Amino acid sequence: MKVSYVTPLDLAVVVVIVTAALTLWRQSLVASLRALSLQGVGLGVVAMVLGAHRRDPVLVFVGVLVLLIKGAAIPRLISRVVARDHPGREGSPLINIPASLVGAGLLTLLAFGATRGLVALIATPAARLIPFGVATTLIGFFAMVVRRRAVSQIVGLLTIDNGIALTAFLATSGVPLVVELGVSLDVLLAVAVLRVLAGHLHRQFNIQDLDQLRDLHD
Amino acid sequence: MTRLLALTVVAGLAAIAWGALSSRARVPLSALALVVSSAGAATLAVRVLATGTNFAWSQTNVLPLGGLDVRLTPLGALFVLVSAVVAIASSVYWTGYARHAMAGRSASASFALFTLSLLVVPMAGNVTTFLFAWELMALSSLILVAHDHARRPESISAARWYAVMTQGGAGAITLALVGLAAHAHSTRFSAIATASTHLSGAVASTFFLFALAGFASKAGVVPLHVWLPKAHAEAPGPVSALMSGAMVNLGVYGIILVGRTLLPQGPQWWWLVVSLLGGTTAAVGALYAATSRDLKRLLAYSTSDNMGLVLLALGASGLSLSTQHPRVASLALATAMVLLVNHSLFKSTLFLGAGAVHAATGSRNMDELGGLSRLMPLTSVTFLVGALAVSAIPPLNGFTGEWLLFQSLLHSLASHDVASVVAGTLAVAAMALTGGLTIIAFVKAFGITFLGRGRTERALGAHEATFSMRVAQGALALACVATGVVPYLLVGVVARGLAGVASPSISGWATLRLSSLSGALTPLFLSGALLGALALVAGWRTLVQRRHGFANVATLEAWGSGRHHQSPQMQYTATSYGEPILRVFDDVLRPDRDLDVSHVVESRYYLERIRYRASNEDVIERFLYRPALALLRAWARRVRVLANGSVHRYLAYGLAALVVILVILK
Repeated sequence: MKVSYVTPLDLAVVVVIVTAALTLWRQSLVASLRALSLQGVGLGVVAMVLGAHRRDPVLVFVGVLVLLIKGAAIPRLISRVVARDHPGREGSPLINIPASLVGAGLLTLLAFGATRGLVALIATPAARLIPFGVATTLIGFFAMVVRRRAVSQIVGLLTIDNGIALTAFLATSGVPLVVELGVSLDVLLAVAVLRVLAGHLHRQFNIQDLDQLRDLHD
Repeated sequence: MTRLLALTVVAGLAAIAWGALSSRARVPLSALALVVSSAGAATLAVRVLATGTNFAWSQTNVLPLGGLDVRLTPLGALFVLVSAVVAIASSVYWTGYARHAMAGRSASASFALFTLSLLVVPMAGNVTTFLFAWELMALSSLILVAHDHARRPESISAARWYAVMTQGGAGAITLALVGLAAHAHSTRFSAIATASTHLSGAVASTFFLFALAGFASKAGVVPLHVWLPKAHAEAPGPVSALMSGAMVNLGVYGIILVGRTLLPQGPQWWWLVVSLLGGTTAAVGALYAATSRDLKRLLAYSTSDNMGLVLLALGASGLSLSTQHPRVASLALATAMVLLVNHSLFKSTLFLGAGAVHAATGSRNMDELGGLSRLMPLTSVTFLVGALAVSAIPPLNGFTGEWLLFQSLLHSLASHDVASVVAGTLAVAAMALTGGLTIIAFVKAFGITFLGRGRTERALGAHEATFSMRVAQGALALACVATGVVPYLLVGVVARGLAGVASPSISGWATLRLSSLSGALTPLFLSGALLGALALVAGWRTLVQRRHGFANVATLEAWGSGRHHQSPQMQYTATSYGEPILRVFDDVLRPDRDLDVSHVVESRYYLERIRYRASNEDVIERFLYRPALALLRAWARRVRVLANGSVHRYLAYGLAALVVILVILK
């Protein structure tokens, strides 16, 4: 009984963090979008497994919703931008790939160190996995710092959001439907806006890298 | 009495709502509601003063942290009464002034809010209510200072200074009061006062100094006064009257509240600091009033000057208390209150007059005015009454205050304590200096503005103020005369206001007697003697004229230097009248002089034009605030390197902050 719940949960969480690392590793925008999509699916599965374990139909429904929005809708929205305007590769990141992977590893260590107290406080098998949620958030943030492309930035932002959602699922006994719905719709809206913005930037100023925005400064 | 409070608040709120109306009737409606509201507050205050018992009312679920708590003590009632009187006059005045300015919706609503908050601050019975009303007062007056921002860029600068000073002051006050409340485990002032006995000396002194800084900045005390001449000058007429006649008082109220009521066992040096601040403020204020060209700036500096005198009296009171001279302490505290009430009456008269001048001529620069006494007879008479009162000429109310201040300072010299003797001596010297400078300032203010001949088209085209404006000015001027002739009107009310805090033994209706100390004063007798002397001189003159038969005595304009054919340019101006003062106090004032002589082309012995300019920007602003601001700006420029416009850099800051927080929280 216990094994049947913990193993899929572990697996799904691992999917989330590994895909987060993948977005940092792969330079191809299409590949990082695919990783993001997989991450959304993993997050949805986490919610569904937790819901099934707690016999909470609402949480299962939230999981399905997350899977649909973060696993399918949002990645598709972004991939349209990539297909239309952008060449498929991230140029040279500000920090090269191996170094940024090392950075991601260090951030994961930091996440484990920082959440020790929290994990000790909540004695459930799910809470053991909280460091992964925090690590996902940090890696997403890190990706935003080191990546140049507007699309990569959006992916980083979504990774942050997924990390926060993962932490919330693992630390609490289920996020209320309204809250999760609100957050997911907010993110959807933000992505829609960013998509339009990125498209405009590209067409108006021929800007793909956010560093070029500095020319507009002063 | 709860009904009166309800009337005050409801009418005040109605005034705010009506002020925001888009209808044209908003100003009269709002002013009417304000008069009702202020009258309600005044009646409430009079009842508290008459019975000598506190009025309390509270509603815990309106505000967080202790709720709305009204506790009107006799001392608070005194301040409410003064605010209400000034507020009634200003509201009536506003109905006429609105034709000229301040008729907009935001200005009207802010004016109503400002008036209401002035009435509520002294009623507060706990920290929350006090700070809430205090902040409303600060913000609404800030809007009013900036109300003319579209036409006058100066008003934006004034509003910026005011905003920084008033919010900084509010921050200091909040720190002090919240700290005291935290120590007492209650926001109620009464609980804080009882808990204060357990407060250690250093902690109490820290809280007192914070509160003193905050309240002193509101009262325009040097060196925190820089906002005052700017904001008072830029605010519209009725607002500057309210600011100077009511708001500034609340700074003094706060100092008494914290220094005497909440922390009654303060050490002696607190009051030495207060005395020192008072003396400096009085001297600096009087000096700048004597050299100002701008009529409202002059009045504003004179406000600083008067608040300095009030603080001198307060300081003397505290010092006498600590040296075990309770009688002198009571007298000095009563003196402070008398000075304050007087100041409210005559300064609001003067500011309303200055507002009328500004409305009629569009100028506050005295060098552009002149000869207004013929065009604005009533305004000039009320202004003269105010000017005589502020110069402490009997039988006007200012004289009583000045006399009491001399009495309490001189009596405090009888102490054996070295510090208070030195402070008292310096205070007497400061008073003597400021008394003289004040007379110079107001001879200038009245003489240059109202006498002589009009210097510009603006001055020549002036017209008398509207009826409601004249009513308000006249009523306040009459109050100055009445309280001067019958000083008991003033002293009696003040003595009741101090019930429970001090017991000044002053008696007599027309003659003030300081029982227990030696001293008596009959302003009526003095003014009778003065009038008699005048009559004697006039009679003697007529006699001499008759005997020597001066056939053709030419009557020329006052201040016309006895010349027949003079142009307005030949008269004294505010600049030239203040020039000797500027020269005498050259080392202190450090004016920027600029003499520009241009010669006729043919010969260097003939001058074409001489232009003289002397800017007397506030020396404290120049040598204290400007360098500090420059330093801040330089530092800010250096910090700008951090913000170079790179999105990645900003994100990296965010990530770094997050990582640091995680590491620390671990």
